Amino acid sequence: MADPYKVLGVSPSDSDEVIKKAYRDLARKYHPDHYHDNPLADLAQERMKEINEAYEAIQSLRRGGGSHRTYTGSGAAYGSYSGGPLYRVRLAINQGDLNLAEELLNAQNDRGAEWNFLKGSICVRRGWLDEARRYYQTAVQMDPDNEEYARALDILEGRQGEAYHPQGFRAMTTDGCGADPMSRICGTLLCINCLFGGGGYFFCC
Amino acid sequence: MFGYVLPAQKELPQEEQLLFQSAYCGLCHTLKRRYGWLARLHLNYDMAFLAILLRPPCETVTRRCLIHPVKGRACACCGDAFDTAADMSVILLWWKIQDEIADRRFAIVWRILRAAFKRAYRKASALQVDFDTAVARQIRALSALEQANCASLDAPADCFAKILEAAAEQEQNTVRRRILRQELYHLGRWIYLVDAADDLKKDMRRGNYNPLAHRFSPTSGTLSPEDRRALGRTLDASVRQIAAAFELDKPDAYRPVVENVVYEGLYLVGAAVLDGTFHQRVRGKRMKQNGKAGSANG
Repeated sequence: MADPYKVLGVSPSDSDEVIKKAYRDLARKYHPDHYHDNPLADLAQERMKEINEAYEAIQSLRRGGGSHRTYTGSGAAYGSYSGGPLYRVRLAINQGDLNLAEELLNAQNDRGAEWNFLKGSICVRRGWLDEARRYYQTAVQMDPDNEEYARALDILEGRQGEAYHPQGFRAMTTDGCGADPMSRICGTLLCINCLFGGGGYFFCC
Repeated sequence: MFGYVLPAQKELPQEEQLLFQSAYCGLCHTLKRRYGWLARLHLNYDMAFLAILLRPPCETVTRRCLIHPVKGRACACCGDAFDTAADMSVILLWWKIQDEIADRRFAIVWRILRAAFKRAYRKASALQVDFDTAVARQIRALSALEQANCASLDAPADCFAKILEAAAEQEQNTVRRRILRQELYHLGRWIYLVDAADDLKKDMRRGNYNPLAHRFSPTSGTLSPEDRRALGRTLDASVRQIAAAFELDKPDAYRPVVENVVYEGLYLVGAAVLDGTFHQRVRGKRMKQNGKAGSANG
């Protein structure tokens, strides 16, 4: 196993508090919520596992054992309750076979809340985030009490917990930048770009 | 399109600004070395950022150019990433020219440009065969959607996103290739949508296709506050996807620059485009140099 101190980016001489903070920051960064429906979720899960193991290793080195609470991944995979006609769709999504999942969905006549939810999660994985949001919204409207649907919409809109941002940065949204955002953008490099007038135009006529 | 991926000023220390600038100047010199001075016309921040993402970073040398003839600028000139980004830049410019000619706007100017770039494009497409094929395929798909007046934001954005995503294929490491694909897909999506917002007024005036005009209901080229929020939300979601992918990559010298772009720069540029102040940058800069505060005539 790699040096646990290196994994957390700390040194063996650091205090318990510093190590705990480093661990917490990393655990927040790779939290499953940030990789919900993300094609890279497996990589984040791996990273989370490394961080947890490193933290546990340091704790047991320092205190000679004992149990410690670490963050655990939750809800990365879809519930696998069998039965319903949409079960195979969930299975296909979990296996990453989005084309099959979509085919199965499109063959369904009953387009209820779950159908919209699953359609939304396929869209998220494909990067079609605007349509994903609309499907999730429909699912939540049709079944307002379902926590799974509400949570997926919250995560997509960045409401679930605090969105991660590294030290020195604030949580930001395009809509909440305040007045005169241009004055805060680095424009010192402008040279040849100005021949084409800064922002340009491309295939979009 | 292009010219939107910028870091935020305040939070970027001098040496990191220099790092971004050296990538920008490095790409400019690489374009000239490989394709002649005319290819430099298509130099832009977005392609410089692409070179940064492709990496690895390399040492810089000071080089002079027409714009900085005396002191010169630090240039990151070595490395395959810059060569690749230069090739891709030429390929994208070529397909843009073809697209313009197909639209028959200012056809003569574009035809002259096409003649001037023919050799450069032949060289670049021979070096990046897969990328060239991918661009051609996606552009065909995009114009089909334009013809059909597609009302989805995601479908046309997907075409452009896949163009940038194709740049990830040259990465040898399979894990890093996956990360790059995700980063570049959402960067492409973000660029396409920001560009569409930027051009909305012009497109509506000229009767050109713009996905925002079909997805939302703008009046005389302006989105309602509610529509603007919805667009902002979907831009944010893409930026968060870029950031999430970026955090899985191995840190290196360019890390602070990318971090600045994905946690602040893109949000600010998006906000500036949505509130219509993006193109006041040059004017604002001059005013500041004259000792006047802010951009008062916005």
